[in-house]
Amino acid sequence: MKIGIIVFLFITHLLFAQEDVPQRIISLGPSITKALYLLGVQDKLIANTIYCIYPPEAKKKERVGTAQKLNLEKVYSLKPDLVLATSLVDQRSTEKLKNLGIRVVTFSTPRDFNDICKQFLELGRLVGKENEAKEIVERAENEAALIREKVKNLYKPKVLIQVGARPLVAATGNYFVNDYIEFAGGINIAKDAKESIYSRERVLKENPDVIIITTMGIAVGEERKIWQKYEILNAAKFNQIYIIDTDKITSPTPQSFVKTIEEFAHILHPEK
Amino acid sequence: MRKRIIYWVVWIFVLTGLLLATALFSLYIGSVGMSLNKILRVILEGKGTLEYSILFDIRLPRIILGFAIGGSLSLIGVILQGMFRNPLVEPYTLGISGGAAIGVCLNIVFRLNRALGILSLPVCGFLGALCVVVLVYSLSVKKGVLKIQGLLLTGVMISFISSSLIMLIMAVSRTEDLHGIVFWIMGSLEEPNNALILISLCASIAGLILSYLFCIDLNALALGEEEAMHLGINVERSKRLLFIIASVLTGFSVSVAGIIGFVGLVVPHFVRVVVGRDHRILLVSSFLGGAAFLILCDTLARTIIAPVELPVGVITGLMGGSAFVYVLTRKQMLLKAK
Repeated sequence: MKIGIIVFLFITHLLFAQEDVPQRIISLGPSITKALYLLGVQDKLIANTIYCIYPPEAKKKERVGTAQKLNLEKVYSLKPDLVLATSLVDQRSTEKLKNLGIRVVTFSTPRDFNDICKQFLELGRLVGKENEAKEIVERAENEAALIREKVKNLYKPKVLIQVGARPLVAATGNYFVNDYIEFAGGINIAKDAKESIYSRERVLKENPDVIIITTMGIAVGEERKIWQKYEILNAAKFNQIYIIDTDKITSPTPQSFVKTIEEFAHILHPEK
Repeated sequence: MRKRIIYWVVWIFVLTGLLLATALFSLYIGSVGMSLNKILRVILEGKGTLEYSILFDIRLPRIILGFAIGGSLSLIGVILQGMFRNPLVEPYTLGISGGAAIGVCLNIVFRLNRALGILSLPVCGFLGALCVVVLVYSLSVKKGVLKIQGLLLTGVMISFISSSLIMLIMAVSRTEDLHGIVFWIMGSLEEPNNALILISLCASIAGLILSYLFCIDLNALALGEEEAMHLGINVERSKRLLFIIASVLTGFSVSVAGIIGFVGLVVPHFVRVVVGRDHRILLVSSFLGGAAFLILCDTLARTIIAPVELPVGVITGLMGGSAFVYVLTRKQMLLKAK
């Protein structure tokens, strides 16, 4: 009898636990899609946006719009039990979905590596993969700590990460891109800037040793040529102007974040 | 006279029919395909199903809002074009939309919408619009007379100033806020709050009724202010009240749906070509025509490259602009041929 009750409780517990885990997920952000694949719940991901191109399999999923504007009707007709949005999604759309009785969780743009890990853990909890998420985060944190240790006593070059041209947009301190520089042992010249729009004069004055340009819809080659014209710039003098794929930088998971730090560390400390 | 009334009634029926047809078409078409048969069945007995919800919770509110906003914008267009006797005036000329935009931008930048809920966006927009209305009005009244030309110039200048201010706000705002601002400026008929949709509907119909009280005054004003005065119209009073009706309605439409261009400029011209210049018919038919036009444009915007949704302003501009150029050139060719 006692055993019967225990078995019964155990089974009901399993059943309820199962019910809690969402089975039909829609992702509205490239970073969320990447994270879901990393957590191994891609089978439950039923649709994503046309911007979700990593991993390549994600392209085969149903599409419900762009990462900013979604087709409500499509989302609703797919009967999701969880919609994961980023703060880029039009607030009116997420509000409407909530009114229709769909569970929507919105992730804000992470401010640093810590935030990325926290959001990843939260995502893991939501889709019932808490332990996997913890493992991935721990591994990433250890690797990040290792890289930091390695570059700790090296010379810290001054770095500018340019995420937009005309106007010149730099990655500032309250944006997670700042952490790529700091973890890889560099100094972000735009760290304390309040707005992300930066001026060329200020760049010249700060004189960065390395300039990293992301391919965010800019004519990157031209942008590099512009910087090369300024001969007093250390980055131009020693040919330290790099171009990096935007997808590697934005929409990070803890795992991709560490990989990018590694790449940055190679750029900033080529001798090591 | 009799003949003219029959002609008007016929046109009102035609436009109402057109409006109903577009609304039904819009209800029928969407990224989730449904056959007519199925829709009928869903409407009659499908309460609680997914399809029912798509029809009545997603498609219908957009149609109603399209009706209210489209109708209001072209009604405002008729009133202002008639009052200023200037074919280029539209709801956004007087800087009211700029005021609404600043209100919304400040709300987004200071994160009020996160603290007070999303409904604070249209409220802030409306407050911004009201500020501009008061400003423009008080700058244009001299010795108790509302100077029409002064009103127009002040309005245009204020709209320039406000668009510069918006750019300033955008330049110093954070990336994630920038998206919110851009969305709002592009304009959209997606509105989660059903109460707000109903309020817009009531406001647009109230605007139509109130402005219809002045249709005779508008006809007289078309001859010129002095002539209108000699015809026994209280010119000052009608100018003021018309300006207030038009600007409050503009503030309302803009703060709910954002800036949807071209409806208020082009629809009145089209309707004028068809039904003539008499405001007794022009007001109503513009309202109906504008409503149908905006509903149609919104339907196209959400279906042309589904699942991606275009901003509705893209379609209104492209369709309205090209259709108007076509009509203009054809008219000129016909005149030459004669």
